[in-house]
Amino acid sequence: MYIIVVGGGKVGFYLAKELLDEGHEVLVIEKDEHSPRSTFIAEELGDVVLKGDGCEAATLEAAGTGRADMLIAVTGDDEDNLVACQVARARFRVPKTMARINNPKNELIFRKLGIDVTVSATSAILNQIEQELPTHRLVPLLHLRGRAGLEMVEVRIPAGSRIIGKEASDVLLPQGAMITLIVDADGNPHLPAGYSVHAEDVVIAVSRVDAEEQLRRALTER
Amino acid sequence: MPRLADLRALLDVRQLLVPSDGSPASFEALAQAINVAKRSRGSVVVVHVIEVKRTLPLDAEMADEAQRGEEILAECERLAEEMDFHIEGELLQARESGHAIVDEAVERGMDAIVIGTEYRRPLGEFQLSRTVQYVLKHAPCQVWVYRMPARTGEG
Amino acid sequence: MRVVIMGCGRVGAQLATMLEQGRHEVTVLDVRPSAFSRLPASFHGRKLIGNGIDQDVLRRAGIEAADAFVACTQGDNRNVMAAQIAKHIFNVPCVVSRIYDPIREEMYHMLGLRTISPTKIGAELLLQAIEGGRAGE
Repeated sequence: MYIIVVGGGKVGFYLAKELLDEGHEVLVIEKDEHSPRSTFIAEELGDVVLKGDGCEAATLEAAGTGRADMLIAVTGDDEDNLVACQVARARFRVPKTMARINNPKNELIFRKLGIDVTVSATSAILNQIEQELPTHRLVPLLHLRGRAGLEMVEVRIPAGSRIIGKEASDVLLPQGAMITLIVDADGNPHLPAGYSVHAEDVVIAVSRVDAEEQLRRALTER
Repeated sequence: MPRLADLRALLDVRQLLVPSDGSPASFEALAQAINVAKRSRGSVVVVHVIEVKRTLPLDAEMADEAQRGEEILAECERLAEEMDFHIEGELLQARESGHAIVDEAVERGMDAIVIGTEYRRPLGEFQLSRTVQYVLKHAPCQVWVYRMPARTGEG
Repeated sequence: MRVVIMGCGRVGAQLATMLEQGRHEVTVLDVRPSAFSRLPASFHGRKLIGNGIDQDVLRRAGIEAADAFVACTQGDNRNVMAAQIAKHIFNVPCVVSRIYDPIREEMYHMLGLRTISPTKIGAELLLQAIEGGRAGE
């Protein structure tokens, strides 16, 4: 098979290497000819790198996309991967297109547009983690140095939380926990005093590690 | 001034590879390579590379290009005969000439690649072709570049 | 009409201002907070920092209730991706996308996207001006 790989990053390199080992004809399209990566690919794998923008019809034309059996887009940008696959399908009638998605939220749109998706490593890992976590999770941001057992954490307020509408400084919290900042859905920061909590707000709090579970419940339960 | 030892080292160059695209510079390069090979009792291999566009598979039938390639190689052989020397010619198909030339030199364990280049100023300034640049950068053996004299009025 | 505009560049800001003058409800999205300085002080629509190819950001921008979505960032690919999310996931009735590259523009037009290529339109206008001999009028 003739397989075109768009994106000469780490993923593109290992993918190309695997495909070559399996005896396929492979071409890697990389925007930056002089990037250390594409030089590395050219040196490791030989004459299989084409410089150009894999979303541009002219580049894909030069790459012989018209005779490709498959195009796999693995750049770090989902929008570039989407467009490369769409151009390959619509203009060059490539029978199979596949994309790496970096943001798991994008899986649906790719599938709706008829592009096969390689579930990204991030998404696979996140799925794994999410099963281990309580529904409305508390994300540890940093350990406060020199203060054993004290952490800064972040909690997203779910719709239906009992604290919605309350003034943030009035919310009853476990001992050893304190709200320091609220970031609203538009990304604006607010101090707790005089600010009433909305759904989807992100609360940044400082808490003793042993009080974190109580804090999570205080902020998220109905 | 080069020391005598350096000149002797030149005589250790026995296996020479000459890429030929049929240009005057490539024939000049071949003549120089033959002169060296004669002195070192060495051999010369001439390669002509047919660049195959990605729109075609690498092993595509390229009749016109192959015929032109054979003609260039025959011309090279005639030149060698005139100099009382025998060369080996080879036709290659590749995506890029530079890669093919370097690969061939590595595979055959060549001592030197002798490559000719025209004096061209396509955008007002002298530019070394992509192929020559690649060979200079990647060949493990010696590389000799024969550049044609600048013609007055050119550019 | 409720309109979500992604990209607060010169065009996005101008469009937002015009829509607001026409009494439409406007939300402007941009990844750079500094971009909003292009909006006049009198602008009362919503300004939101975020990337329009993130479905959660689009939701926060009110895409689910929007009548129209306009993608006019500098990035062609970002524009068409956001436009397709608006169209195929949120079923926004009117979706328009700016695409600089005329070839890509033509292709997405064929794929059913409403597209505008400033490159093509600009060149056409310049051509008319030259051929009409009325440049500078």
